[in-house]
Amino acid sequence: MSSSITRLIRNVWRNGLKRSGRQIAQMNDTKSGTLVGIDDYGNKYYETKNPDEIHMRTRWVEYKDFWRPDASHVQPGWHFWLAYGTDTRPNQLKPEQIAERHVNEIVHPISFSCTRGSYVPYNTAKPKTATWEPNVKTRV
Amino acid sequence: MLNLISKIAVPAMRANSVRSSILALRAFSTTQEKMLNLTPHNLPTEQPILSERPLSGSLDYVLTSWDKVKNWSRKSSFWPATFGLACCAVEMMHVSAPRYDQDRLGIIFRASPRQSDIVIVAGTVTNKMAPALRQVYDQMAYPRWVISMGSCANGGGYYHYSYSVVRGVDRLIPVDIYVPGCPPSSEALMYGIFMLQKKMMDDTTSRMWYRSY
Repeated sequence: MSSSITRLIRNVWRNGLKRSGRQIAQMNDTKSGTLVGIDDYGNKYYETKNPDEIHMRTRWVEYKDFWRPDASHVQPGWHFWLAYGTDTRPNQLKPEQIAERHVNEIVHPISFSCTRGSYVPYNTAKPKTATWEPNVKTRV
Repeated sequence: MLNLISKIAVPAMRANSVRSSILALRAFSTTQEKMLNLTPHNLPTEQPILSERPLSGSLDYVLTSWDKVKNWSRKSSFWPATFGLACCAVEMMHVSAPRYDQDRLGIIFRASPRQSDIVIVAGTVTNKMAPALRQVYDQMAYPRWVISMGSCANGGGYYHYSYSVVRGVDRLIPVDIYVPGCPPSSEALMYGIFMLQKKMMDDTTSRMWYRSY
């Protein structure tokens, strides 16, 4: 049973009123499970093994930023795990299994669109016209 | 005689310039004293812009809350007009299909531009389609937003050098969100939708209207 009044009451009882309210606001559902990891930005990842839950809805993230949650705050490894690409979580990887990247950021980069840090395009082509520069000769 | 006048006049003009720089923040003045003051001085440019000024009056607080309520209602009833032109449209359909299920977000595709707030331009805009797109955009009621989906709509993409393709839909209509990809995945389009919802929430029209007075 995916959504029932008993499930709702059970999950609200387990999570508490505040967290249940946040869950309803963010994903229109109450979910209970075990906390399996926290990433760079403090987002919390949960998983439930309950067989009554709907297929492919057993892993979820609860964003740290409640008012402006952004999917780019999810670390790439955790995103892969959330999309059921792997069953091994990033915090379960051994050091030799972690891929060496050319650029190893300590905290993964996020999308800066719609913020002050957003990319602003600029033109590198040579202008086709030249602006007139007034050159005033001194009067004799 | 002229020397005497300048000795009297200069301190008066200095005092006048100081007072005018404090009081008259508006840069343009046509009074005679202002025109006489030829001393180079810096205009007061280091002022906070309207959006960064601290809230002053009670009406400021009221209008800020009103802005938030208005923006929330706008972003929660996100009714796009579909403008599916090519393979991007298939990904757009996936967003409305059960897997991504846009209905849970309050997003309903409308068949008529007169009923919609957003137009999602999904696919290659050809020269032949351009007037139709412009007409659809013109028929939409204010406030209206545009999502350009896919590299063809963003800037011509693969067909950039074709004789019959518009090199970017922003040559026809103003675009709010560009979703990159060829085609962008449904998740990418949803991310673009969420970005547009954030942009809607950042709208400050009534606040700025009040503060500009």
